[in-house]
Amino acid sequence: MNRFCLLITGLAPLLGATGTVTHALAIAACMWVMILLHQALLGPLRASLSGARYWLASLLLLAALGSCLQLALRAWALPLAQTLGFYPALICLQCLAVDMLLPTAGRWRHLLRHLSGLLLTCLLLGAGRQWLEAFAGMHLAHLPSGGLLVLGVLLALYNQLCLTLTRRQGKR
Amino acid sequence: MSAPMRSSLLLLAVGGSAIALTLAWQHWTRPAIIDAERQLQASQLLAVLPAQSYDNRPLDSALPLPAEQPQHSKVLAAYRASHGTSPTAIVLVSQVQGYAGPIKLTIAIAADGRLIGTRVVEQQESPGLGGQIADPQSGWLNQFAKHGLGDRWAIRRDQGDFDQLAGATVTSRAVIDAQQEALRFFDQHRSQLLGASTHE
Repeated sequence: MNRFCLLITGLAPLLGATGTVTHALAIAACMWVMILLHQALLGPLRASLSGARYWLASLLLLAALGSCLQLALRAWALPLAQTLGFYPALICLQCLAVDMLLPTAGRWRHLLRHLSGLLLTCLLLGAGRQWLEAFAGMHLAHLPSGGLLVLGVLLALYNQLCLTLTRRQGKR
Repeated sequence: MSAPMRSSLLLLAVGGSAIALTLAWQHWTRPAIIDAERQLQASQLLAVLPAQSYDNRPLDSALPLPAEQPQHSKVLAAYRASHGTSPTAIVLVSQVQGYAGPIKLTIAIAADGRLIGTRVVEQQESPGLGGQIADPQSGWLNQFAKHGLGDRWAIRRDQGDFDQLAGATVTSRAVIDAQQEALRFFDQHRSQLLGASTHE
């Protein structure tokens, strides 16, 4: 699994629901809970189910998890649930993709590393967009399209950072 | 038992437990959801009042409404806010026909007959034009605070005292009408709305 796969599979919630730090934190927590629970529940089934039956079981579990998540958000954070809209439900697609993309060996290690990266991206994106909107007066940053631009800038910074680090190591 | 049979049974068990879990979760969270929705609605209706101006729970007791209704708008509900024993404000929930659909407003009127504030609860006006009434940043609704029946309740184009929303004359007229009629409604039914305890 490429390190950007998780980012791309969750692009819709990542861009749509990270307008502020609070929303970013909420959607990242939803992603963690959904993906981890889905993987944990599918783990014991993987050995005994295969093919279409495995997918059907995965979909059924996702439907249940998604409904429970929406209900929990409505019960304990109704204003947040209203602003997040249908984005928590879209995490189901991300779960399906993650299940397919994860390698068979070292699944959990990979997953946890990628999820930490995702949490960090969400927080950076949320903080960046909130700052741009509130202090720099860029209202575009609040819209999903602005989120895509900010994500691009973040990725460019990340690439630059990686490049500088490898160069420095090379010199030693 | 053959392998396909066993996996089918396992799939059935997974599906059954998924449905059971969802139903149980829904049953368990239902009271919390109803409670949260009620709280949200209450905070929307009472956002028009300053928090320190009352200490009762106005939404617990809706006031009985007189049969006669204003001409253009419709008063849907009335609530009394009081501090200690003296009533401080009346919140009227009023509905008026806007440009694109009905507009639902909460109008708070102080005991002396002046407007405390107005908030939009529901509206379907054109986004960017009439829809700005619901936008707290536009601040258009703030100009009506502290005005009473003595003012000329109309937009400047109709020789009134108030600015209109640019590009939304119908919406502006409707909201101003609703507020004036709410003030008149309060004036006509003052003793009934404020309760028998006040003798002014």
